[in-house]
Amino acid sequence: MQNAYLPDLAEIASIRDETYDTRTFGLRFVDPARWEAFQYRPGQFVEVSVFGVGEAPFCLASPRDGTDTFEVTVRSAGSVTDALHGLKVGDQLGVRGPLGNGFPFDEVKGRDILFVGGGIGLPPLRPLIWDMLSNRGDFGKMTVLYGARTPGDLVYKDDLERWRGRDDVDFMVTVDVGDETWTGNVGVVGTLFPKAEISPETTAAFVCGPPIMIRFVVRDLLSMGFAEEDIYTTLERHMRCGVGKCNHCLIGDKYVCKDGPVFSYRQMKTMMDPG
Amino acid sequence: MSQPAAYVITRSRLAEWVGQLLKQAQVIAPRTVHGGDTAYDVVEDPSQVAWDYSSSINPLKRFLFPQTEELLRWRRPGSNGLQLEPTYDETDRIFLAVRPCDVSGVLFLDRVFSREPEDIYYMTRRQHSALVSLTCGEPGEDCFCVCADAGPFLESGYDLQLTKLSDDYLVEVGTEKGRSLIAPAEHLFAGAPDELIRARRDIEKDVDDRFEEHKAYFAAALRKVTFDRVPDELWDGMADRCLECGGCSFVCPTCTCFLVADWPEGENGHRERLWDSCLYSCYTLEASGHNPRAQRRDRVKARFFHKLSYQFAKELEAHGCVGCGRCITACLGSNDMPTVTARIRRGAI
Repeated sequence: MQNAYLPDLAEIASIRDETYDTRTFGLRFVDPARWEAFQYRPGQFVEVSVFGVGEAPFCLASPRDGTDTFEVTVRSAGSVTDALHGLKVGDQLGVRGPLGNGFPFDEVKGRDILFVGGGIGLPPLRPLIWDMLSNRGDFGKMTVLYGARTPGDLVYKDDLERWRGRDDVDFMVTVDVGDETWTGNVGVVGTLFPKAEISPETTAAFVCGPPIMIRFVVRDLLSMGFAEEDIYTTLERHMRCGVGKCNHCLIGDKYVCKDGPVFSYRQMKTMMDPG
Repeated sequence: MSQPAAYVITRSRLAEWVGQLLKQAQVIAPRTVHGGDTAYDVVEDPSQVAWDYSSSINPLKRFLFPQTEELLRWRRPGSNGLQLEPTYDETDRIFLAVRPCDVSGVLFLDRVFSREPEDIYYMTRRQHSALVSLTCGEPGEDCFCVCADAGPFLESGYDLQLTKLSDDYLVEVGTEKGRSLIAPAEHLFAGAPDELIRARRDIEKDVDDRFEEHKAYFAAALRKVTFDRVPDELWDGMADRCLECGGCSFVCPTCTCFLVADWPEGENGHRERLWDSCLYSCYTLEASGHNPRAQRRDRVKARFFHKLSYQFAKELEAHGCVGCGRCITACLGSNDMPTVTARIRRGAI
């Protein structure tokens, strides 16, 4: 019997500052054999332990590529995330996963793809965007729309530049509030919809961001004519175990950790929990 | 010759049998504790078993899923590098003279913790345990196991099932594990004659008949909770009565919510899980400050959805209630299962 609560040890291979409060950690399993078994799909997550402080869930933020590391992007917001920000390259922590269901991939082949990310909601979408770009011929028109509160809140600035430079993806970014150096779009991410060419009938949309943003974006997409089952998002809930036992992330009879965190809007609509 | 499916042991020989069991394993049985209550607890001597008790103040849960349970220890043996070691409890335990509702509670926990992925901590304890049930000849004051299909007799799920007859106990064998509890003391037992098995059936029918006044309206509650047809005002009314003490969750044989906490000890330390209650306000509080169930009403609703909805009953093969009645004693606001199902049926407090 496997121990679903026993983490594997990993060490911090790299640390990159994304914003004033957000960092991306590259992690490498201490046991190389563990990496072989660590096959994951975008949308899945890991529970990361800082021993002595606790454990918290983070989405897998990098595609599984030729390296032996994977990334999590962490905003300093609580005890575990604060402790993570205090660690340095070479420090060890615990990792359980991959957990959760992940985004559909084969199921949306042949469709046009729309990504809508808000702030720290870009990390779960990032590996999916790169995986689809690596299999570009399998998908139709690809559009990536990204919004953040201020230019200082934009994450993955290297990725943003690379997407901007490609001609096989329409990429647009906006901020709620600009600054003296900002010359781009200003406004919530929904203000980009009229500027993008989107065909609701042929498109699958992947939406991640804070709850308020998801609510407005979904409303906009529905009014544009998107089908409820063509809108995918990830839900966040306070979690303890990540494997459907502790019950903290239950919404009605659905475990966000096990049945999700990816749900279509059609599924979400039938879930009974308020909030 | 095939072995009998049922034995009989006279009351005067029970102590000698328990003495044998105490040599095999830790024995947990009803015993009189401080204040005169009866509780399942470790017994060291056969005389401590309270054979004639009505019910235990606590279910067996804490022996299989303890209120605080160590999951693992970490060590830092050198300057860098961690070592992790899981902590498993492989103590052999015999749960003796357990009421059928509490056996049903354990069977419910079995289904919760054996769902994929299996919970190795619970399953390890469980594999090292044996369940000896003691059927009920008399409904307790708060009992409604008949509504929950959890007693007062069991059809299966026990290793042994004892029934008190006039001077003897009938011993039904449910499993090979149960038979192994008899084997070392076989001279104390005799094969049960047919008339004793008939007598047991008569007792069961007689007890069933005396449960007439004990009711929980599960069918009505299931339908209304499943289809979200309970008025918000009713949940509000029950929320007003909830003190958020968590007592109902802790005494409940089927409640399994837990949280996880780390306890550093210098460079080393250990991780525990602890019972939690879905009624606590910070149960769903996120690091961002967002709380999807900030309203107590929504927490009360979530608790009874988990216990009563068709979705969970199907998944777990039962309601999250065995009719033990402990929430009746625990809840100062009368948000106990019989009262709540009655309110849901009626649509009013």
